[in-house]
Amino acid sequence: MAERLDRWIGVALDGQIKPGSSNPAVIGGNAIAVWRAEKGPANVWEDRCPHRGMRLSFGFVREGMLRCIYHGWGYEPGGHCASIPAHPDLAPPKTICANVYRSKERYGIIWTNLSESPNAPLPDAGPDQGWQSIRSVYVARQVVAVKGGLATFDWSGGRVEEIGEEAAFVSAGELSLLIAIQPVDERKTGLHVVAKGDGAKDVKARLAWAARLERLRGSIEAQS
Amino acid sequence: MAVTTDRAALNEWVACGWPEKVAPGGKYRTVLLGQEIEVRRTGVNLFEVFECDEHGKQGRQLPVQAKYCCVFTTLGEPTRPLPEIPEFDEPDRRITGCGSVGVHTSPFRIIENFLDMAHFSFVHTDILGAPERTEVLAYKTEHRKDADEIWAIDCQFYQPAASKASRGGQMTHYAYRVMSPFSVMLYKNVFDDPTRNDAICLFVQPIGETECLAYMPLAIVDRESALTSIIDFQQTIFAQDRVILENQRPALLPLDPTIELPTRADASSIAFRRWLKAKNFQFGVYEKKAA
Amino acid sequence: MALTLYDYSLSGSCYKVRLLLDFLDLEYERHPVAFFPEREHRTETFRTINPLAQIPVLDDDGIRLRDAQAILCHLANKYDKSNLWLPRDPELFGPIMMWVMFAGGELMAASAARLHDLLGYDLDIKMARRNAHAAFRILDDHLTRREIEGGTWIVGGHPTIADVACFPYTALSNDGGIGLEDYPALRNWLRSFMRLPKFDAMSGISEFA
Repeated sequence: MAERLDRWIGVALDGQIKPGSSNPAVIGGNAIAVWRAEKGPANVWEDRCPHRGMRLSFGFVREGMLRCIYHGWGYEPGGHCASIPAHPDLAPPKTICANVYRSKERYGIIWTNLSESPNAPLPDAGPDQGWQSIRSVYVARQVVAVKGGLATFDWSGGRVEEIGEEAAFVSAGELSLLIAIQPVDERKTGLHVVAKGDGAKDVKARLAWAARLERLRGSIEAQS
Repeated sequence: MAVTTDRAALNEWVACGWPEKVAPGGKYRTVLLGQEIEVRRTGVNLFEVFECDEHGKQGRQLPVQAKYCCVFTTLGEPTRPLPEIPEFDEPDRRITGCGSVGVHTSPFRIIENFLDMAHFSFVHTDILGAPERTEVLAYKTEHRKDADEIWAIDCQFYQPAASKASRGGQMTHYAYRVMSPFSVMLYKNVFDDPTRNDAICLFVQPIGETECLAYMPLAIVDRESALTSIIDFQQTIFAQDRVILENQRPALLPLDPTIELPTRADASSIAFRRWLKAKNFQFGVYEKKAA
Repeated sequence: MALTLYDYSLSGSCYKVRLLLDFLDLEYERHPVAFFPEREHRTETFRTINPLAQIPVLDDDGIRLRDAQAILCHLANKYDKSNLWLPRDPELFGPIMMWVMFAGGELMAASAARLHDLLGYDLDIKMARRNAHAAFRILDDHLTRREIEGGTWIVGGHPTIADVACFPYTALSNDGGIGLEDYPALRNWLRSFMRLPKFDAMSGISEFA
């Protein structure tokens, strides 16, 4: 079983997890399903239906429930199974539950803590308002190399303020960037980038930053 | 890949190909339970099977049988012969294999999925099941001790398009028969003829614990449909199942009923897992390691 | 009008054509080809229909076309009165064709991986998966840019044959052992495509978006 430390890890940009969708992710080798009902916050669960082990990231959303694609078992956001289509008149036993992880949306990022006793605080980037999503990139390198790459990248006049455990902060002129760092496994790291400040909402600026992040990805991967 | 030491697995007849896979005089290599083997088609209906090492050096010769559109061999000493399936001898049936399909999972996940009806409405939507009719009515399971087979009988499910021959929906009646841990078949009533059953088999070749080839020979009653479309129908169904099969976690089959939670519709699966546990299978099953 | 499609249910390339035929509400006759295990497409008889021994092949009243990408262009050009699936607008036409060719080019690495895993084709699977991921990354980067611009589709403000061509092997990526964990924009675009009216799934793609 992969380690599940008491830390908040960014797993996606909030805007990328669309209403009525279920999505796969991996944190430290743990398979995750990130899903959202038609309304409401994103949910982060172990990517496994307790019935016959089918990955819930393949599931579909109907009327506020995540349904497993194998037998259509329906799960409410709290994790409880509320519907077993093979037995439409049966109230599913309360023991049937998806494995739910703590999750929070802040700064436009979905954070999750996989620990069984999550006590750590969320990374602090100040007030929650005004953050604009840029993009996620997945770098084919383990997290130490990626952090090293963040430190040495040419941020076009910007400056790396800090590289912490779960996040890095870059200031670039009027903009502040928050980069959530998602260790996927020993060979891959995800970065979820949001920006705040003057011009953060400007489409051209966001496109330019998206391109810069593609170059960041390329520059880290170019190093062996 | 190391060869398994699990005698329960080694002592079974297992499919390792289909007769027309190579022309007479041809040969091919494949892997069975971690063991490299070479299969030679020495005549139209004659086959030889040898163990070999990764350099191609020939090892001992293995028993071989060609039956039910498959070539079978064994690495051990089976305690029983290949099953009897008389439907394959009935002259008015369409008898065919469908080639093989690769699946990355335990052979037992593949067998279990074949036994399951509760997924019809979701995985084979508008074909073997309808989204509005998902209920699985109670059915019976039996361990027939004389043949040492697991059976599920009195199964029924509403199907919009039960087979290529179907013209409309029907309440299909099924019986399922697990002839060995690596082979299963079902009987389903012929559309519009309750006196006869189509026979659809699934023989699984375990390459390793989580890699298999699946063979699907059929002996069905259908005078109208072209053979191509009968095979197409079967392959379409199996390719839908394959998405599920490759995405169950763990891939190895858990025998502990607290790891995966069954309901009454899973009676076949419960009987199958209990049967595997009694046979003391190590290959292909999930054992939760102590922390 | 007599359209005949030489077709195999499990072929993603044939599915490209089936999708557009449905979107355009076109009736056609389906001529099933015994692709596997018989390999009918590689017989001498079939080579008189397509010397490249591949499917799909479309016969349109005597015009016989191979290559799913060419067939999509032909169908859109001849039958789409709305001019939406392949607009002639010079701002859109070139980019659409670029992505249609990408679908028949780099993206086909995902088809190779799938043929290896599903039907046992003998090829370099590691390379196929590596190339498929590289192609998915390019498409995901493009769709990410499109999202920032407020767009849903590969080119322009509505679906085109670029989306039709790129959809099947992307949606079937798991068949070849290629997951979509790293491609959030791609996943969202797939879902948008599956919600189009007259969309029909195929084996390997769920009916439920």
